[in-house]
Amino acid sequence: MERKLFVALISEDPVFAGNLKKAIRDSLDFVQINYFDSDFSFLSVFPDTKTDIILSDQRDNSDDWKVLLEEIFKVNQDALVIFVVEDRERNKSVAMIRSGVYDVITPALFTRIQPLLHRALRDLEDKAHLRYLSSEKSFGDQIANNSRSMLSIINREYTYEKVNATFCNAHSIKVESIIGKPLSEIWGKETFETKIKDNIDLCFQGNTIRYEANFNTPLFGNRFFEVVFRPITKDSGEILHLLAETFDITDLRLSQQVVNDMEEEFKKLETNLPIGFLRCDTSGTIIHANRAFLKIMECEDEALLAGFRIDEFYVEKGLFDIHLSQLLNSQIKTFGRVSFYTCHGNEIACRISGFIVTNESDNPSYIDFAFEDSSRELMLENRLLQAQKLETIGALAGGLAHDFNNILTTIYGYSEMLLEDIPKSTPSAEKVSRIITAINKAKSLTDQILTFSRQVDQEKIPVSVAEVLNETIGFVKSAKPENIDIKEDILVTDVHIHADPTQLFRVFLNLMTNAIQAMEEKGGTIFVKLAIVNGNLVRHELNKDIVADDYALITIEDTGEGMDPALMQRIFEPYFTTREVGKGTGLGLSVVHGIISEIEGEILVSSKKNKGSVFSVYLPVSSEYHTDEEINYKDKKLLFISGNRYESNILSLAIERSGYGMVFAADLNHLLKLISDTDTFPDLIIYMDDSKEIRPDDFINIYTAKKLRIPVILISDKNQLQSGEKLVNSGIVKQQLTKPVSLKEIHNAIQISLG
Amino acid sequence: MAGILIVEDDRDLREMLRTSLVKMKYTVIEASNGKEAILHFKPAITDLVITDLIMPDEDGLKVIMKIKEMKPATKIIAISGGGKAGPGNYLSLASALGADEVFSKPFSIHDLLKKIEELLNIEQPQ
Repeated sequence: MERKLFVALISEDPVFAGNLKKAIRDSLDFVQINYFDSDFSFLSVFPDTKTDIILSDQRDNSDDWKVLLEEIFKVNQDALVIFVVEDRERNKSVAMIRSGVYDVITPALFTRIQPLLHRALRDLEDKAHLRYLSSEKSFGDQIANNSRSMLSIINREYTYEKVNATFCNAHSIKVESIIGKPLSEIWGKETFETKIKDNIDLCFQGNTIRYEANFNTPLFGNRFFEVVFRPITKDSGEILHLLAETFDITDLRLSQQVVNDMEEEFKKLETNLPIGFLRCDTSGTIIHANRAFLKIMECEDEALLAGFRIDEFYVEKGLFDIHLSQLLNSQIKTFGRVSFYTCHGNEIACRISGFIVTNESDNPSYIDFAFEDSSRELMLENRLLQAQKLETIGALAGGLAHDFNNILTTIYGYSEMLLEDIPKSTPSAEKVSRIITAINKAKSLTDQILTFSRQVDQEKIPVSVAEVLNETIGFVKSAKPENIDIKEDILVTDVHIHADPTQLFRVFLNLMTNAIQAMEEKGGTIFVKLAIVNGNLVRHELNKDIVADDYALITIEDTGEGMDPALMQRIFEPYFTTREVGKGTGLGLSVVHGIISEIEGEILVSSKKNKGSVFSVYLPVSSEYHTDEEINYKDKKLLFISGNRYESNILSLAIERSGYGMVFAADLNHLLKLISDTDTFPDLIIYMDDSKEIRPDDFINIYTAKKLRIPVILISDKNQLQSGEKLVNSGIVKQQLTKPVSLKEIHNAIQISLG
Repeated sequence: MAGILIVEDDRDLREMLRTSLVKMKYTVIEASNGKEAILHFKPAITDLVITDLIMPDEDGLKVIMKIKEMKPATKIIAISGGGKAGPGNYLSLASALGADEVFSKPFSIHDLLKKIEELLNIEQPQ
């Protein structure tokens, strides 16, 4: 026996106590005896001393035992008390037992002490267990109360008969407040009617009902529950109650919702991402593709890709296998630009990267690919390449044409002299005339080459685009074949650009003639449109960092044979022609390109084989176009101070042509003379800080001394800004421009200064 | 007879011009670039200058300005085979700077001679 039995032995007779002690000790080694010589000495320590059994000597005919017992029970109601009495004290013994004493023994029965103590120990243990059970009511209750579910027993009146602690805690109400209450009161009438009652009814028919629902409880607001109703069937088969098990799964639901939301979010991202996403198995068979991929590959439906292998899209056969082996080696790899065939058979370029997705055992399970359409990038590269090519050819052809013109002039001159030397109307004279005819043909050719290479003078004036366009349309209509229609849509009539009208006419005529030739055999329609577009909106199309405020957009569209991309790239090159030899010079579009470039416009082409081509011409709208304004300044005099006569001459020329009166100051004396004379007194001074004769300091001195108070525009060299600084700091300068300055800039500065 | 300065870097063309001008009894002086022309310009015997515009060593624009400075009465004809400089263009700049007439190459020598005659006659009605 492991447990020790603690016995308090109380007796005023030490000899008796010694004997008793001995009797116990001899046979029971599990007993620990504490001896007390009076009731008082025991009671003073009893509450703090571990005591299982109190063995008290009561052989004295007194009623002191009652006091002792009362005191003991005050401390511990369950205390086991054994009294020792004389054999003759039978009545006293009965009274003791009735008072709750565990047992009474007589000295004669000392031999009984052993079994008595054994029994006491066993009873003590049982008592402890009983106490434990009785305090927690029952084992079943304990389970029920510790369950994570809310458990309740519901009767046919939809009323709670029993609920567990979880239920009470969840609703933070006491058991008494729930028992006997109808469900509708606890959950709310509406919730009860819509989400509970029918299920309870079903359960009472003998079914176990399991469902999930979100309940709007009066106490907790909206929560999500898993509910199980189990019928409690009596032996008779009657069902009077059901067991309801309700488990709050709101948190679970919420975390599930978060996961779902994240998944949804990711799906949305994957779908809307402008980057094509593709998942393949390890052999390259397509499993999934996102919307961007389908768009890049011109595929209408993901289902169409099912079972296809990605290498079937590769233009270069065998390349995928190389990519695959590289990927398996490095897990993640960027392959750069790769050519693919789309579902429509068009060739496109994509930048692709691959990632190996591994399973738990670290083996490749999928390959994910990211596809970026690099068609625009490629297109821009090509466009740049083309522009550079045209520039190079232009420079070469222009130089050639220039030298060639010299040679032609010589031939022309001698031919004319020869024609004078030989008699008229002779075969020789006729031959020389033929030479001159050929020279004129050559001249028109060099003219075109120079126009293409942008080395020809274009007399740029404000031109109404609509006017020139209408004129061209009228001209083309009078000469077009019958099977070709021209439909025009001139949306704006008052848009002006800065250009040479004859060259502009040449551009439109050339594009329309090309359109007609593209449709010559089958006939068709030319659509001509004119609109104004905002520069910022077409920045992307034009791929220019600096754009004009507005552009006149002229589109000339045909329904002809169209061009393939390879052809389209080269059409602006001189002598690149698709027509048979003898039809046209092959310079047409290159000349168009040259004219448009010269006026800082742009020409773009898009085309589909057998569908037709669209030429879009963007021409910067002239903001300088003011019909009346310039005249107002005609009588204004501008004083020009510059060290470089040659440069100032060219610059002032343009200013003078706008109608201003110009005077020049060569040195200080000249300047003083000019500002002293009312006839030459300027309205504005343009000071170029390269003047050695009139240095900034001198100028400031004169300006302040003479109290000039007229606006000064400073044009300074980018490399020598410090010399102009003094002027700027002096406060004289109204506007500062930095070389190189465009005429437009100067013009604006003058207008602002004078206005 | 009037004196004419030809400024042209293309030798064949320069010779052709000289041949036709000499045939018309003009006194002809030649220069193969702008620098040479300005250096050897003889105001006393030169009434008219024919100058190319794009040349090595000082271009035609400079020639026009210098000559108009040295002898403003000199008549100037600018000839150009195409080409441009900066924001403006040569032929229109030339006329703005004081060239009395501009010709783009290739031109008819008849037209040129007619223009020379015209310019010199207006200047010297005697």
